[in-house]
Formats: sequence, structure tokens, C-alpha cells
Amino acid sequence: MNDTLATGAIRRIAAVLALSVAGAAAADAQTLNAYSIWPENWARPMLQEFEAASGIKVNFLRFSSGEALARVIAEKNNPRVDVLFGGPVETFAAGVKEGVFEPYKPPSFAALPARFREANGQWVAIADDPLVFMTNAKFLKEHGLKAPASWDDLLNPAYRNMLQMADARTSGTAVTRIFSVMEVNGRDEEKGFAYMKKLRQNVQLYTKSGGGGTLPVGLGQAAGGIFFIVDALDTKAKGYDVEISFPREGIGTAAEGIALLKGAKNPDAGRKLIDWATSPAMQSLFAKHKINFVPAHPDVKTEPSLAAVLKDAKIFPIDDAYAQDNRKKFVARWIAEVLP
Amino acid sequence: MAADAGAPVGIRLEGVSAQFRHRVKGLVYAARDVTLAIAPGELLTLLGPSGCGKTTTLRMIAGFQEPSAGRILIGERDVTRVMASDRDIGFVFQSYALFPHLSIFENVAYGLRVRKEAAAGIARRVGAVLDLVGLAGYERQLPSQLSGGEQQRVALARAIVIRPRVLLFDEPLSNLDAKLRVQMRSEIRELQKRLGITAVYVTHDQEEAMAISDRIAVMSRGEIVQLGDAETLYRRPASTFVAEFIGRSNLLAATVESVAPGAVGVSVAGARLLLEAPGDGLGQGMAVRLVVRPEAVTLAAERPGALAATVRGRTYLGEKVEYELETAGGRLQAVIFDPPEGGTFPPGCRVAVQLPTRGLQILPETAS
Amino acid sequence: MPAAARRTVRDPALAIAAAVVAALLAFFVLYPLVALLARVFLADGQLGIGLLLEVLGQPGHRAAFANSLLLATLVGVTGTALGFLFAFTAARAGLTVAWARFLDVATLLPLISPPFTTSISLIFSFGPRGLITHDLLGLKGVTIYGLSGTLAAETLTYFPIAYLTLRPVLSAMGNTLDEMAMSLGGSRRHLFRTVTLPLAVPGLANAFLLLFAASLADFATPLILAGNRFPVLPTEAYLQITGLFDLQGGAVLSFALLVPAVAVFLLQRYWVGRRQYVTVTGKAGPEGTAKGVSPAARAVLVALCLLVAAFILYLYALLIWASVVAAFGANHAFTLDHYRVIFTEGRKAIGDTLVIALLGMPLGGLYGVLVGYIVARGRFAGRQLLELAAMINYALPGTIVGIAYLIAFNDPPVALTGTALIIVACYVFRYSPTGIRATIAQLHQIDRSLEEASESLGAKGGTTFRRIVMPLILPAFFAGLGVVFIRSMTAISATIFLVSIDWTLITVRILENMTELALGPAAAFSVFVIVVVMVVTGLVNALLRRLRAGQEMPVAGMGGG
Repeated sequence: MNDTLATGAIRRIAAVLALSVAGAAAADAQTLNAYSIWPENWARPMLQEFEAASGIKVNFLRFSSGEALARVIAEKNNPRVDVLFGGPVETFAAGVKEGVFEPYKPPSFAALPARFREANGQWVAIADDPLVFMTNAKFLKEHGLKAPASWDDLLNPAYRNMLQMADARTSGTAVTRIFSVMEVNGRDEEKGFAYMKKLRQNVQLYTKSGGGGTLPVGLGQAAGGIFFIVDALDTKAKGYDVEISFPREGIGTAAEGIALLKGAKNPDAGRKLIDWATSPAMQSLFAKHKINFVPAHPDVKTEPSLAAVLKDAKIFPIDDAYAQDNRKKFVARWIAEVLP
Repeated sequence: MAADAGAPVGIRLEGVSAQFRHRVKGLVYAARDVTLAIAPGELLTLLGPSGCGKTTTLRMIAGFQEPSAGRILIGERDVTRVMASDRDIGFVFQSYALFPHLSIFENVAYGLRVRKEAAAGIARRVGAVLDLVGLAGYERQLPSQLSGGEQQRVALARAIVIRPRVLLFDEPLSNLDAKLRVQMRSEIRELQKRLGITAVYVTHDQEEAMAISDRIAVMSRGEIVQLGDAETLYRRPASTFVAEFIGRSNLLAATVESVAPGAVGVSVAGARLLLEAPGDGLGQGMAVRLVVRPEAVTLAAERPGALAATVRGRTYLGEKVEYELETAGGRLQAVIFDPPEGGTFPPGCRVAVQLPTRGLQILPETAS
Repeated sequence: MPAAARRTVRDPALAIAAAVVAALLAFFVLYPLVALLARVFLADGQLGIGLLLEVLGQPGHRAAFANSLLLATLVGVTGTALGFLFAFTAARAGLTVAWARFLDVATLLPLISPPFTTSISLIFSFGPRGLITHDLLGLKGVTIYGLSGTLAAETLTYFPIAYLTLRPVLSAMGNTLDEMAMSLGGSRRHLFRTVTLPLAVPGLANAFLLLFAASLADFATPLILAGNRFPVLPTEAYLQITGLFDLQGGAVLSFALLVPAVAVFLLQRYWVGRRQYVTVTGKAGPEGTAKGVSPAARAVLVALCLLVAAFILYLYALLIWASVVAAFGANHAFTLDHYRVIFTEGRKAIGDTLVIALLGMPLGGLYGVLVGYIVARGRFAGRQLLELAAMINYALPGTIVGIAYLIAFNDPPVALTGTALIIVACYVFRYSPTGIRATIAQLHQIDRSLEEASESLGAKGGTTFRRIVMPLILPAFFAGLGVVFIRSMTAISATIFLVSIDWTLITVRILENMTELALGPAAAFSVFVIVVVMVVTGLVNALLRRLRAGQEMPVAGMGGG
């Protein structure tokens, strides 16, 4: 392995020296570049499945949704990747506003419910991902608590300095969480922010990425937090003793999207990935790779154990028009009022 | 070797100056309007105290430093703006400047390698020149393994192996002990004559300068104050500076009393002397200095009319006696060679000082 | 020869080299900085400080500014104290070779580690469920996030700088001085207070400033440990840019960092640099029984040092452990899976990083030697300025450099973002000053007449440099090259802004892994980097030792002849 690494390295050095400095991605029809918002351990197996199915090689780099969006916007005039892969819909909504996407309607487009697609095909959903409360079971036991079943349960002083959740500056999870708070407060901005300010008392750390707090909760470094179900179930699957619960007032769910970038160097390969990712073929593979997303395509059944978790939960979708209009304002206000 | 060196060339400096900006003093001359012609095959020494501009002048000839004014010619070629590497010179440094990472062979071969000579030729010439300086067999040593004297020979070998048209020496012997210095200077002199290379030699040691040079240029404050052979400088110093710098000398204050063709009458501390000297530029009543070398003084028992002195100190050295005398005109040194047994004057003794009437240099008081 | 008359005596080679270096510096140092300043002070073509006031007017950003200064000051104090403890013990306590070696290894580790390593291990050890705070001490509700955690991590990471700065100072003071003072009747404590400490003051000030600058610039540690109640400027600038895509805001925040950084750099260079009483000769003083400390004090000193060193080694042991267990904290079954992951999925990052480090290594070494030579030997007026310019990217926090590069090289005509070149350039211009300084120091010991001798023998400037100068300053060349390699393997603060789909770095992967909760691969990557850096450092050191041994005598004999 090291041999090939070494020869590979030498070959690349030679390539760098030989080629001009402007080494932009080669426009090879058989390769595709993507920014993935899905963590590598989910993106990689899925994209490998695509490589096997299509024969197209995918290069990808993983970023938090905020970072990925920032890069896509920065590279607007000269995109370095073809596809933005995964990530909550509010990130894609922001992208639409910045005009970075190339509309494309894949074959599954018509079959998808309205909330799983942008009307013009600027983005399409590949999965659905509800938020959950996740708490450390040992912590609950030691403090004689039950898993939180209401938003107000999280305000319990027992959690003081023990909650971790995502930072709205970088994470789509955080933005989805803010919209959830708004929805359960009847979109009353003042009430919503008052709640978040109260919740802040109990927050130990706002993490850079959406799942950043799951391991500390698993380890007991933190008592709990608000996460996407996919991250929460993954923590549980790794063997950490955590409980997953839902607030009775309801909690938001965010579609996970995919989009082709305007000016993509390999648009055809990009479209093929979108065709595949929105198809039942791809979404049936979630279970195989133990990825706890809820499939977006109506033809794919939710994996039974995941369905069991979700059975009695009250889950509402985040309205993307509302999200698109308010994202920037809410994030700015969150930074100014909640974060300090 | 001497056979392939080619005809020696002269060096000319025409109004050469080196100016630099001093932090306090502003614009300062390290060398000022130096004009000098060095004959083909000659060894000329630039002599002076530190800071007199001798090294600066040498470095300008070498091309390490650029003159702010004037021209430098080597042979008929104006080299004022030519890089050192193109001047065809050999330079021997005070610090030897041997390349510490290269063997003796490679040090000497360096100039030939730079000239892209064939390997066989290099080996032959390096061998020959190491032979010449007496270092055959040292080829594979590193400079650090050699003594100071040996290192200096390597430096010399390295400079001459390229058969330069001009050899330049910057105080090459100052890091050696006294005995080695005497030996090396005659070797350098001998080698220079044998190779017939025009040479410029810088030193602050007047004895070394006298021993090695055809001619000496005495420098002070960036200027050449006197140029001549050793004897001229010793016998006829043009200024009290030269008189004091070259050899030991007594500078006796005197007043001119009469000037006649070929004879000058002076009075020294009350004593009157009639000296055989051209009276050029002298007038009655003029204050002058007499340059009296200690060995020119003779002593006798005190008598009226003579220049009287008191013996303040006496050092008996076998071949000679050195006296420290006090006259009404100031202190005076005297050296008496081969003193007769029991014939010296003890301290406190009053004596008559006798000065020669021929060969004394008379300097106007102003010629400092 | 009228044409010849206009030629200069000076060799054009040096002038050409100086011109090339000046052009490179203008392009890779000054231009990005100007571009950054333009972003800060130019709004709609108008020069003004409106944007500056607006961004810095936000209470969060003002707090970040104050926090950065506070943290840097505290790290400067604690790090210098710890460094002094180590240096004093190493120099005076008469340690056996084996123990001294142990201290050396423990202090070397943090210097060659990728970022986050101390932070990760500290989180495992402290905090509500930390191995030490919870499992060992049974403490509850402890939080590691914030000032204290960041301070601890940065102190442990950076105190070796103070140690390395102070050790030669204390060693060079030597026992002679101590003996003299004690023969005059001073007690040991009196001796420490009146002789040792005052003489060490310039060294202490120097160490403090170096640590202050290191902490001010540190990006990785606060990103993990500072939390939200203790924001600092480098991470705020990063979040401003990557999270909010506010390049201007990020530029302003990094500019706020620039002011104290430049102040510290100038202070260190022009004030402390001229006040060192003890010059390092490289000559070891006579090793004797240390008289500066009493046996009891010696025992305490040694115990303290060993404790700290053992703690550092414990942190690294934890890192290795985390790299070979399935899921740290939950499933401690042994597995090599994480290493498999980094050599398969992480292969591109490893390959890219090695390519960039191996490209930067010779370029950085050569550039350092060239700039050092021009500064030490050049005879033109602007060479001091040239040296200062060459130091800028080194003195500035990486965040500033990274953002400046991003701004300057993002758009045509010089769109370099996304290339390997921009990362290599960033490393070369940021980490070559070590080589530059080593070259200058070495050239000061080499008589200029060596070069003149070469010249007089007919060699042009280029030949002289290649055949005479270069062999003599090889140690500086290798020292410079080694540092560029180490930093290329471990740095993140500047290059995190410069990685792209084509060129990514191990350190950025480590950060991503940490945010993705893939602690195993993060630990495995870290261990891999440490091993590679240790091997390369070892090779370079061995080479240096050989070069120095071969040259020691000639160099020593060169001064007076």
C-alpha cells in the first residue's frame, strides 16, 4: 500500500511540475466532482455504489453545509465541483437565492411530493431527516430524569451547561432547529428567540457541525442535545448508551437535497448522479449501509426499525419558502442575541 | 613556471577615490585621489597605519570594491568596471580564505576548474605549484589540518597556479609568528621575482615593507604621502609622519639662522650647527624640524658650545647601547653600536650630543 | 571601451537573484496583504474605516478581540514559566543523559504534532466524563470548554518553544558564574534571585513574546476547546468566512489580529533581540556538578518536570489508544480499522499532503538559503526591507495569511485557488524564515573573503554560490527544509482556506473527522503524521550531525585563521 502511495506521490509531483499551475479539474467525461455535506462514512459507500452503477468516478470533499455553501458561492464564477450532495434543504434554499444552481428535473421529479423538490428543479430531495432529542441514558438515570418529551424539558436546570448542539453559523442542523423552534412558537419571532435565549443557559457548546455534539453526549461529556435522527441513531448503533425522544409539540424535519451547479464542468455526469440519487435504486441502499435517513421517494419503504422509532413522533416539514425568506435574518439574530 | 607567465604588465591608478557614507561623519573618503604607476614586474607595497586606505586601494585594484572616482588600468586594459573574476588577478588574504570543505588539492585546483582546464593539466600544474611552495604530499589534507604557515603557502599556491597577471597581497603574514613572518616574506619576495609577476603588497609593518618591496607608497588618511624605495623613505622622509612611521627618529626643533647654497645654519637648543643641505624653501628665522635617526647621534664628554644633554636612561644590549637623553630642545634617543668596554655614560651624566653635518633631513615645521 | 565603462563591478547574479526574490515577495507576501487591507478599508471604492468599525462594533467580535489578547497573555505567562522550569532543570539539575533525553522527547512531541492532538486528548481526560476528572477523581459537572481548557492545551502545546529559547540561555550562563557568586558568599536562593533570574530576563521576555504570538495565531486549539463563551479572533474569522461567507468580515477580524501580531513581532525583533546578554556560542560549557540548586530543590524540580513530561506522554498514549479501538469511550475492542480507513479513504489526503510537503521542502530550503544569502551578503540599500518582507508571513497568524491568499488569488488574473501551488507557496513563504535566519547566522560566521577568493580565482557569482557558499551553509539549508516539511505536514490555520477538491490536506481531514465524530481516523491520521514527521526530522538531524561533524574544525578555524 505504501509503495503505491509513494509512486502515486511521485507521479503527482511530476504532474504538478509538468503541468501548468492552473491545474483545474480535468474535464474528463468519466469523472465527477462534488462537495458532500453528508459525512464521509455515508457519502463514500453511497457514491461508490454510484461509481459501480455508472462507471463514473466521483471525487468529493466533505464540508459542513455552511462551509460547502460558502465555497459554492465563492466559486460561483469558476465552479470547481459539479454537484452539491446531501445537506438540509434550507442550505439549498439559500443556494437558490444566490443563484448557484442549474435547474434539472430527474425522472423521479414528478413522483416526489412538493416539499421534496424545488419547483423549477433547482434542487431535488434524496432523503428526509427529522430532528430528535438525544440524551445520555446514564445521565438521565443519575439525575432521575426521563428522556425530554417537550421543548420545555430541555430548560430543566439539571441540564445546565450540559447540552451540545450545532452552531448556526456553520450548520444546517442548527438552522433547521431554529425553524423548528419558530414553528412550535407559531412563527412568533420574539417568543422563539426568548426560548432560545433561555435554552442557551443549558448549552455547553455550539458545535461546528450538526453531529458534533453526538459523541460528547454518547461519552457523557454532555447530557444531551438536538440532532438529526441519522446522527443520533448512528451514535446509538456505535454502542453508546443514548436515548432518542421527540417533543410532543412537534419537531422539524429537513429534506436532504442534491443539486447541479451552474457552470459545472461535467454537467452530464452530474445529471446522472442526480438521476441515480433521486431514484428508488439509491434510496433502497440506505438500510444496507445502515444509514438512517427516511427515503424521499414514495416508492421506497422506510426501514422497519427506523419506522418504529418514528412511529408516534409528531414531525412537521420546514417550509422552504419561509426558510428561504428568513434564514439570513434568523442566523444573524441568533449570532447577535443567542450566541454571546 | 616563470616561463609561461608571459610578459609582466604594469598597473596604473588614476585619481582613484573610494567614498562611503559614515553614520556620523557623513561622506568620508577611504581613499582619495590616489594616483600611482606600478612598473611591470615590480613589487610595490602600500604601507600605513590601520585606516589609512591601503587595503581599500588594494581591494579596488582587485575589483572587490568599486571606486567612486578615477580609473584603474592593468596593462593597457581599463578594469575600473570589470568584475574581479575577469581581472586576471591572484589575491592572497590576511585570513588565507582557504575553502574549508575542499582538500588542499581542490583548493589549489579551484581556479583551474573554474577555467575548465583539462583534468590532466590541472593535476600537473597543482602538483608543480605545491612543489614550488614546499607542500608536495599535502594534497589530500583539509586546510584545518595544516599550520598557519602551511595554510599561507596553500593560499599563495592557489593564487599563482592560475598564472595571474597581477598578484595582490593583503597583510598576508600578520597572522603568523615573528620568526615565520621573516622566513615567509623572503619566500614571497623570491617567488615573485622568479615568476616575474607584478605585485601589490599591503602591510602596516614598515620592516616587512622595507624587506620585501621594490618601492613603498606610504599612505595616510586615504592619500599617498610619499612614494619611493626604502632608502629614500628612511633617509629623506618628506614629512614628520613618514619620518616617524618609518624607523625610529628624533624630531628636533630648530631655527634656521643662515641659508647659503649647499649650507644651512641652524640653532638647536642653544647649540649652532652648519649642515650640508640644499636650502630650498628655507629662510632665515624659520622654525624647522631636524630628522635625526638615533644611530646617527654620537656622544662625547660635555663641552661648551656643544648641544648639551643629560642621560636619563641607558640600556646595554651588547652590540649596542640605547640612551634616553634630555636636552633643552626636548627628549632625544641615541643608539651607539659596538660601545667600547667601560666607555658608556651612566644615567645623570651630562654629555655633549654630536649630530652629523651631512644627510640630515630638514623639514619645515608645517610639514606634518 | 565606452560600453565596458558603464558596466558594474558587481556581479549581476546577485542582483538578478535579489530581483527575483523581491518579485516573489511582492507577489506572494505584499500583494495578498494589500488585497486584504483593501478589503478592510475600501468600501465601494471609498477609503474608510466604516467597515472596520461596523464589524468590530459587534459585542461578540470585541469580546473575541479581548479574549485573544487575554489568552495570549496567559499562555505567554504560563508557557514561559513551564519552559523556564524545564530549561532550568535541564541546565542546572544535573540530570542523567537518559532523563534529559526523556524530557527532550516529551517537549519535542508537541512541536511536531498536527493540531488538535492535545485538544482531543484533553477532552478525553477532562470534562464531565473525562478519564481523569470523572473516572479518576470522581468530579461532576466539570467543563473543559472555555478559557481554562484552551489555556491548558495551548500551554502544553507551546511551552517547548519557551524551553528551547531559554535552555541555551541558562546553559550558557554556566556554572562559572554560579560558582563565582557563591564564592562571594551568596546563598542559593539569593543566587537565583540576584544572578540567574536577572540574566535570564531578556530570554524570558523573548520566550513570552514568542508564546504570545503563537497563542494569538492558534486556530486549531480554540476551534475545539474555546467553546462559545470564549470566542477568539482566528476561529471567529474562520467561521465568519466559511460559515457565513462573509469574506469582508473575516478580513476585518483577521486585520484586528494583525495589529497585536505586528506589535509583538517588532518588539521581539528590535527590543528583546538586542538585549540578550548571553550569546549562544554553540560551545558546551564545562559539565560539572550543578551548584545552583540544593538537593531538595533539585528533587522538586525534577519531579515537577517528570510529572509534566509524563502527562504529555500520557496524552499521546491516549491518542494512540484512540486510534486502535473501535469506538473510544464505548467499545474498546482492538482494531486496525482506522488505519485501514486512512490508508484507503484518506489516501488522497495523505498523498496530497506528502506531495505538497515534498514539493515545498526543497523549494523552501532553497528559498531560505537564497534570501539569507542576499540579506547577509547583498550590498544594495533595500536588503533590510527585503528581510522584513520575508518575515511578514511568518510573523502573521496563519488565519490572516490564509484569508489574504484567498482574497488575492481567487479571481483572474491570478486565480490560484484550487491548485497545489497556492498551498506550497503558502508554506514556503510562511515557514522559510527559519532557514533564512539559520543562513544569515551561518554566513556571519563565514568570512566574506572566501567568496572574494573564489571571485579572484575567476568564478562568477553563481559558481561561487554553488561551489563555495552552498556547501558551507548546508546545515542551514537542511534546517530550513526540515521546518518547511514539518509545517507542511502539521499546519492548518492558513491552508484550511486553501484546500480544494483537487488538493486536500491531512490536517483538514483530521478536523473534518473530528466534526464527523470519526475520532478513530482522526487519531490514526495524527499518529501517522507524527511518525512521518519524526522519521523525516530524524533523517534531517542525522544529516545535519554528519555535516556539522565534517565541518566543525574548518568552520572553527575560519575566523581568525
